[in-house]
Amino acid sequence: MNATASAIPHDDHHDHGGAHDSHGDHGHHGPVLQYQPGLPLTRGKLIMWLFLSTEIMFFAALLGSYVVLRFGAPVWPKPHHVHLSEPIGAFNTFVLICSSVTIVLALEAAKANKQSLAKLWMVLTLVLGVLFLGVKGYEYSAKFSHGIYPWSPRSRVFEKPDLYYGSAVRARLGEPEIIDRLKALDETAETELSAEQVSARRRLQQVRQMVVSPDQQPFDLAVIADQVMPLPTEAAAGEHGGHAMGLNDIFPWLKLPAVIPGGTMWASTYFLLTGFHAIHVLVGLIVFAILLMYRLGPKRAGMIENAGLYWHFVDLVWIFLFPLLYLF
Amino acid sequence: MSDHGDHPAAAPSHGPITRLGELPAHSAAEAHGAGHAAEDAGHDGHGAGDGHGGIGKYLLVFLALCALTTMSFFTYSSLWPWKNEPHVGWAFMMAVSCTKALLVVLFFMHVFWEANWKYVLTIPAAMMAIFLALMLVPDVGLRTRMVAQEREIHMARPSDVRLLEQAGEAQLLSDPAGAH
Repeated sequence: MNATASAIPHDDHHDHGGAHDSHGDHGHHGPVLQYQPGLPLTRGKLIMWLFLSTEIMFFAALLGSYVVLRFGAPVWPKPHHVHLSEPIGAFNTFVLICSSVTIVLALEAAKANKQSLAKLWMVLTLVLGVLFLGVKGYEYSAKFSHGIYPWSPRSRVFEKPDLYYGSAVRARLGEPEIIDRLKALDETAETELSAEQVSARRRLQQVRQMVVSPDQQPFDLAVIADQVMPLPTEAAAGEHGGHAMGLNDIFPWLKLPAVIPGGTMWASTYFLLTGFHAIHVLVGLIVFAILLMYRLGPKRAGMIENAGLYWHFVDLVWIFLFPLLYLF
Repeated sequence: MSDHGDHPAAAPSHGPITRLGELPAHSAAEAHGAGHAAEDAGHDGHGAGDGHGGIGKYLLVFLALCALTTMSFFTYSSLWPWKNEPHVGWAFMMAVSCTKALLVVLFFMHVFWEANWKYVLTIPAAMMAIFLALMLVPDVGLRTRMVAQEREIHMARPSDVRLLEQAGEAQLLSDPAGAH
């Protein structure tokens, strides 16, 4: 583009003044020739916005594939089937929103040259970000403890109670470590066990017979799967916080394969989306930690603003991730 | 924000295309919307910069965001009247999410107060994002209708869910005291 200078009639934009009429005295310098840079913003901010627009596309691709996969799949697990807790997700949403506010307040304080206040808000942002990651880590560990991993050798999730599932249960029950523990469990006196454990032990014995039975029916495999980790029904989910007790819950060392229809695809998308988001949170926390080493005065306002823009974007992604993953 | 620090005198320092020159941000063609930031820059640089933002406004936005989060969480509660029509809940939650995103972008990211450059970046990015998602539809979406034989063997179907539910019900009858 050529260097274009134009006469500016200053009166033609009164219609949008709205909230900004405090600078309404535009008329006084009349038409002037004025050169402006291509985009009236600092270089750092321009780069940050360009970066954010690539990030928009990055997450749009991820979220888009998630939506397409989720609605294209013949079966998709309910949040309770995969041990997702909506209140925890909502809490994390709240944490991120709070951190968005604190970083904005840090910027305002820095611009007003209230350095210690800016630092306080920044520390608070950092703490909230760490809290978010901590809650995320807790959620991840809950998934892992149920055998839900994003990759196949560790994942104990099966899509349906078929022969492959049956043989996986049989293989697990045949592992030396498990054989020893089962023997120990069988020999334990009933008085040493809770009523729940006694009942579970009986059911486990039935499962052990069914899984090696020569006249095994397809329905038996579904019964085994239900015993190992029942799919909570809508009603039970409300009553027990979505946590029906299966053999895996009562004897955590069992670690039997479990059936979650649609669970493997769910795990892939869930860990990919939340994982990439968590990496973004982590990067933001590193940036905040670096910023905390400086004096947070007006000189650093640009840096704080750019870090804040990035942080708000991370918040933005979570705003879409939370309903898509937890409530859909 | 930092726009307010941009005096015309300081112009050469900021931006790779400074030398190419440009229409002033509030020329007639692009004055609609919110060109104030650039105007402020021309006028008084810093002083009036506090005209936007303000802690009160941020807290208001924060409260709105909390209320909206509660609203989307409400679909999960037992009071939500459209339990049997998930599409209602989905549409509602997406509307809430878009509102929240808009609030964050406009106020926390200060886009509401920015000059018109914001359209240069956000509109193409938004269009690309939408096209990107649309292009995934044939690629990924149809794959679940035409699956590889190997996948077909292992993938779950609604009938498998029903089977598991039946197993659960049957077990409830025979289980606890049944063996004794």
